[in-house]
Amino acid sequence: MDAHALTVGVAGTAVVLLLVLYVPVGVVFAEAFTTDGVASLSRFGDVFTDAFYFGDLAAVIERPLAFDAHVGALAGFIGGFGVRVAALGPVPYPMPVLPTVRTGLFGFTAWQALLSTAASVVVGLPAAYVLANFEFRGRKTLRSITILPFVLPGILVATGFYAAFGQSGLLNDVLGVVGVGQSLLETNPLFVVILAHAFYNAPLIARVTTGAWEAVDSRMVETARALGASRRRAFRDVVLPQLLPAILAGSLLTFIFTFMTFPIVLALGGLQLATVEVWVYNAASNLQVPEAATLAVVETAVSLALTYAYLRYEAGGSGFSSAATDVDRERFLPDLASVDAKRLAVLAYGVLAAVLFVMPLLALVVESLTDGSGFTLRYYAFLLERQTEGAAFQTKPLPAIWNSLVFAVATLAVAVPMGVVVSVVSSREGRGRTLVDALTMLPVAVSGIVFGVGLLTGLVFGIDLPGPYTLRVIGPVAVVAAHAVAAYPFVVRNVKPQLAGVDRALVESARALGATRVRALLDVQLPLVWPGVLAGAAFAFAISMGEFDSTVILATQSDTATMPVAVERYLGRTLGPAMAMGTVLLVVTAASFVAVDRLGGYVGEIQR
Amino acid sequence: MRRRRFLQAAGGSSALALAGCLVQDEGNTSTDTTVEDTTTSDGGTSTTSETTDDTTSETTTEAEELSGTLTVATYESFLNAPSESYDAPGAFVKERFEAAHPDATVEFTVPQNGLNEYIQRRQQGASVDADVYVGLNVDDLVRIDENLDDGQRLFRELDAGRMDHADRVRDDLDFGDPKGRALAYDTGYISLVYDENDVEAPPTLDALTQPEYEGALLAQNAQGTDTGQAFLLWTIAQKGADGYLDYWRDLLDNDVRVLGSWWDSYSAYLDEQRPMVVSYSTDQVFANRDDQDMSKHQVGFPNDQGYANPEGMGIVRGSDNADLGYAFMDFVLRGDVQSTIALANVQFPAVEDEYVDVPAEFSDYAKRPPEPVALGYDELSGNLTGWLEEWSRLVAGN
Repeated sequence: MDAHALTVGVAGTAVVLLLVLYVPVGVVFAEAFTTDGVASLSRFGDVFTDAFYFGDLAAVIERPLAFDAHVGALAGFIGGFGVRVAALGPVPYPMPVLPTVRTGLFGFTAWQALLSTAASVVVGLPAAYVLANFEFRGRKTLRSITILPFVLPGILVATGFYAAFGQSGLLNDVLGVVGVGQSLLETNPLFVVILAHAFYNAPLIARVTTGAWEAVDSRMVETARALGASRRRAFRDVVLPQLLPAILAGSLLTFIFTFMTFPIVLALGGLQLATVEVWVYNAASNLQVPEAATLAVVETAVSLALTYAYLRYEAGGSGFSSAATDVDRERFLPDLASVDAKRLAVLAYGVLAAVLFVMPLLALVVESLTDGSGFTLRYYAFLLERQTEGAAFQTKPLPAIWNSLVFAVATLAVAVPMGVVVSVVSSREGRGRTLVDALTMLPVAVSGIVFGVGLLTGLVFGIDLPGPYTLRVIGPVAVVAAHAVAAYPFVVRNVKPQLAGVDRALVESARALGATRVRALLDVQLPLVWPGVLAGAAFAFAISMGEFDSTVILATQSDTATMPVAVERYLGRTLGPAMAMGTVLLVVTAASFVAVDRLGGYVGEIQR
Repeated sequence: MRRRRFLQAAGGSSALALAGCLVQDEGNTSTDTTVEDTTTSDGGTSTTSETTDDTTSETTTEAEELSGTLTVATYESFLNAPSESYDAPGAFVKERFEAAHPDATVEFTVPQNGLNEYIQRRQQGASVDADVYVGLNVDDLVRIDENLDDGQRLFRELDAGRMDHADRVRDDLDFGDPKGRALAYDTGYISLVYDENDVEAPPTLDALTQPEYEGALLAQNAQGTDTGQAFLLWTIAQKGADGYLDYWRDLLDNDVRVLGSWWDSYSAYLDEQRPMVVSYSTDQVFANRDDQDMSKHQVGFPNDQGYANPEGMGIVRGSDNADLGYAFMDFVLRGDVQSTIALANVQFPAVEDEYVDVPAEFSDYAKRPPEPVALGYDELSGNLTGWLEEWSRLVAGN
């Protein structure tokens, strides 16, 4: 059995992926490639030559050989650059003038994704630095709950932002004490959207980077220092190359997420800041599936192309780590004398991070406890009442909490082995390896709306089989499968780089000593990459907790609802009950993250 | 030897796992095109229709032997959404209907994608497991007809003669559907809600493009929100299909903010980001329940108009429970039920005022526009999708 375990794993993974991912998505994507029943690329032609989608580039694509027109346009573009003199009071200063370019929907989406990624990296990296290098009280708990923003449904984030940064929000209340009063949300809407994206994604980058940082072999750093390198040199030459893949992986994921962002943009920025996904949604809700599919195919192509490029870079790396060691951390504040510039900077960052991350969450909790006339517990009373007196067809809070936890644990149990299996199998040498690896990222790269349409028309309606039978996959099993499919790329992205970093000689010695492939994996490789597995598991848990789009489609009965679904269902004309349920979601999720992390750390300790 | 055993085990377990997913087709009744749609009554179990009028006393002594399970498909907030002291109307309706018809049971189902799911099911020949659909708007009917041809129709033509109370519905809530598929059960009026401390009531829609209302309005996306679409159609009704884009260009120049959902824009409004929002004319009912400051919840009717958004119900074609369905729809139009639905949904009842008693806490605060505006089926058919696309492109403006 041991010998075949890997084959079983691969087969199981393939079946799940086929049923829950490739077939539903393939069926929808196929519609983009047919026009009136005939296979053709005319839909893509329409999209690429539409100035609304591709701006000025569309004219180039439409007539690629009209060189004189394009050269003229290019000349106009270059001529558009310039400098003008502006004045700050009496003092003149030069202001750059940029040419106006029609970016089109895709151009704008890519632009805001780039800005969001940059913002997330800027916000997330210092957090990783602090968590990996300093020891302070509550570090482990803080590390566990950094992933909390990732789980929140869009409506809660939007409301949290309004409640925190709005005109009459928490931040203004706090700043009002000092005498400053300007609503953050009144500034540029694009800025607010980018901030919200950073809120969602900086924890992702921080978490991934922290995992990689903790997996750095400190003895290598010591060796470098012993050989004469300065601190900075040792960092630059030893630690940074090991961090770069993780940072880039996080940035890639962030870019893809923000490229396909949808509810946040509409909620905080409005239709004027529409992204491609908004158009996919519009087309899908008008039942214009081919149009939606065309846009989704282009989105996925862009995402997968970027993933492929990143993976070519990652494949070039190599590793020599042979044992995971305890991370060397300095104590943050052993005494007041230790306060230096570095620690002050960290404290300043801590304040900013608290404002960005904690304030919206806090504001959410405060919103659930207040109404027009002050402090009230009536929204929580509603939750209790619904639980005890609700009708059978109404969504009750307690089953929702239970379902969320059960689904999340089941997703862990399915996604982590899936991810490990895929990491191991795709680590083998072979042609097209990078391509296969890029394809494993499909769940992340596919538009959630198209995925939902595919699941609905595929699994929920049923796939016709020969004979009188229809294959329908709904209910808890389908939900867990969908969650696992959505989560396993994160496991792969966390485990694979570290797996590649393990010295092959170790595995070979184990096998030479008589271990089967699976034994070598379980006893030698996994303990060495345990931080990566843990990080992946945490993400899988988070994805499952926060998953909404496919859950809502597959969990057709009220008794398979999860917490995010319950939050959406409690959105009546008053926000209160949804906020109360959202607070419950926050508390339960935070507690479970801490539990998962502690458990995982404990298992990791045992393994060593 | 070990391989064989392994294959047996793996094959057996996967067969077991997938066995639960196989469903036997029972021959799709939903695509049956020979279902009678005529107005003659088919031999049901109900007694002949009562002709006595019962404006005040709703008699339940009719010897109705209606039995069976009625599956009512509806939207989420009909069942789940909490309001202050009135829970969502679904439970009440079910309880009372089952009390009136002891042999009948009501089961609710919520198609996650709304009506689109049923349209897609019809297109693909999958079964539509519902008898009655509650929550139809005019644009839903238009969308059905754009996507389904005659052989796949989703709703049957309603026979008003089979319902006592059908003639109580207000005339201005007629959907204008040539196939007569939906009967209104409540309606809302979309208007402007504004803060009178910050801004004056705009006298006309054109006033919204003037400098004094610059950066003052919060609107919603017309694709996917009732209020957004209603506001857009209101401008089209006033400016015509040729002039509305120019009006919206002026509005966009005047810094209107078009957010994604009613929730987002209302949250922004409550947060005092802008003094005016497109919302329902029953806004003050909520404000009153939540003890809000009324001066911040003034309802404005530019040009003395508001856009009517009736919600209707219909019977699914191919359903076996047509009689029960008619009884249910008739029940929903009863005075007491209309009153409960109005309070719970915070919408206006569909029946004329003389047939329903609405408590003062509602009627004092809910405002009806002097001149309701609505585009019917004929005006929307063939045009709506084009208008939505044009408008979206203008606003996204890339």
